[in-house]
Amino acid sequence: MPIHEVSLIKPENIIEHEELIIDGVDVSGHWSTFIEPRAVTDYNEEMEKEISGLAGGEFIHRCWQCGSCTNACTINAMNSDFNPRYWIYLIRMGMEDELLIDKDIIWQCVSCNKCTSACPRDVNPEGVMKATAHWLELKGHTPKPNSMIFDEGFSEQVFKTGKIEDGLVLRDFLSKSGQSLNQPWLISMVFGLVKKLPLTMLTRLGLATFFRPKTRDWGNARAAIEEYVAEKEVEKHQLLGLDGHQQKDMENG
Amino acid sequence: MSKPVLVVGSGPAGLSAAHALASAGQEVVLVEKEDRLGGAPILSGYAKLVPSGEWAKDAIGGMVKRVEDNPLITTHLNSVVDTFDGEAGAFVAKLKDGTSIDAGATILATGFTHFDSVNKPEWGFGTYEDVVTTTQVEQMISSGQGVRCPSDGRKPDRVAILLCVGSRDRQIGREWCSKICCTVSANLAMEIREELPDTNVYIYYMDIRTFGLYEGQYYWASQEEYKVKYIKARIAEVTSDGKRLIVKGEDTLVKRPIMIPFDMVVHAIGMDPNVDNMTLSAVFGVDLEKYGFLAKASSYASMSGTSREGVFVAGAATGPETIDDSIAQGQSAALSALALSRGAKVEAAE
Repeated sequence: MPIHEVSLIKPENIIEHEELIIDGVDVSGHWSTFIEPRAVTDYNEEMEKEISGLAGGEFIHRCWQCGSCTNACTINAMNSDFNPRYWIYLIRMGMEDELLIDKDIIWQCVSCNKCTSACPRDVNPEGVMKATAHWLELKGHTPKPNSMIFDEGFSEQVFKTGKIEDGLVLRDFLSKSGQSLNQPWLISMVFGLVKKLPLTMLTRLGLATFFRPKTRDWGNARAAIEEYVAEKEVEKHQLLGLDGHQQKDMENG
Repeated sequence: MSKPVLVVGSGPAGLSAAHALASAGQEVVLVEKEDRLGGAPILSGYAKLVPSGEWAKDAIGGMVKRVEDNPLITTHLNSVVDTFDGEAGAFVAKLKDGTSIDAGATILATGFTHFDSVNKPEWGFGTYEDVVTTTQVEQMISSGQGVRCPSDGRKPDRVAILLCVGSRDRQIGREWCSKICCTVSANLAMEIREELPDTNVYIYYMDIRTFGLYEGQYYWASQEEYKVKYIKARIAEVTSDGKRLIVKGEDTLVKRPIMIPFDMVVHAIGMDPNVDNMTLSAVFGVDLEKYGFLAKASSYASMSGTSREGVFVAGAATGPETIDDSIAQGQSAALSALALSRGAKVEAAE
């Protein structure tokens, strides 16, 4: 539903006491109904700083709220609650409570980048959606999405060996995201490969599964990448004001 | 030698007209009611001008010096025209001190008056010390003092600039857009962020009218380079919680009331008709338009005409105007006055 059609009264703001007597007068039930004020009483200036510090969010301050992104949006066409223009505003003004109402749909961005082409100010709304989803996750508002689990496993392997082995990427992803290997699509894909691929290629695939090849002389590159990634992680945690405890949880989780 | 041209007012328009006339060898009598030349940019202590970024005292100061040094220009300070008689080509003006001036033509470059924010009491000016006007912020910057809260001299953590104070408001009889306040406010917001990088600046607007090339230089730059935030809301009132100012209004993009604490609130004040316009209209026999600015004749025959032949007008006397356009209009009026004082007739453009 577009913003201007959303009811201004949120259910959680309606306060009603089943039993209430004030000065001897029984005001139980709807006689005691009142609605908490909706006024915004402060701007949280940190929020824009945090999200603009994450990859993709760098140009959020350029937004002038024209709504081109929302109009162009693939997901908005299916779910009008998905409103990048509105979220960008909430982030800029630091209206965290309001943003959190939509925390479970922000990750749905499919990165089609139609907004990126439509945006007259080069805000890169698609990047902002990514940064926001990442921020929500880092702050513990949303669980780590499968796409992030996949990306992490993928990068981990590249960092370690300089190469990727598709089978391992897949197995790693399925196990970390709590999914069974027994997936019909996976089984039919493997059978398809066995049937159609030439023998030499199959042999190579098979060998790679057991003897994981590494890029030659990868050690130095690996050390440099790991150092850089660690540095970036520390920066990110400082930027978001995450304490050591949360950081540990994140690394484990 | 033709009779001198009388120029009334020595702001950007008057200075430009006087200089243009003198450059063409025309004698000029310049009458200024204040004790110095320069008009609003000098008298009100503006900081850096739009769009050159030059300090007002240097840019307008240069125009002043050029006029002061010109032997063809006679200047009367602390002076007003008391009576004005005759007709095009043969006017006689009498100054307050009795001086009589024969003039072939006259240019009124009498400017505007800043809106007095006391007329919008709900926005706290005159009630709270830390509610100031754009002119005051200009002075804080141009004096070198820096942007500080007047109440205790602290650096403000958060500044709100309210646009359209004294403009576009039927409640106070000011329906016009003052044209320059959006740009000036964006410029000041950048100046504040430049001086105080930790200070967040918010601009509350109804529309942003940084017209033409000002769009990129001021509106976009203030957002993109200086991270100034723009909120579409016309503020309802400015109050205080005893410590900070509270700005109340409705954020129209989230449809929620806002009550946000600020350290300093700046009124982007508009341009009123010069408070002397009724007198000027009576003395010079020229019409005012419906809001009280000097009425212009059709632009197509001659840019600078008024309702009286031989009396021309330039700059913000006819309505809100930029400094650059005032200067252009000063030159335009100078050409009309020059032609007339040398006996040429303006042909109708029909």
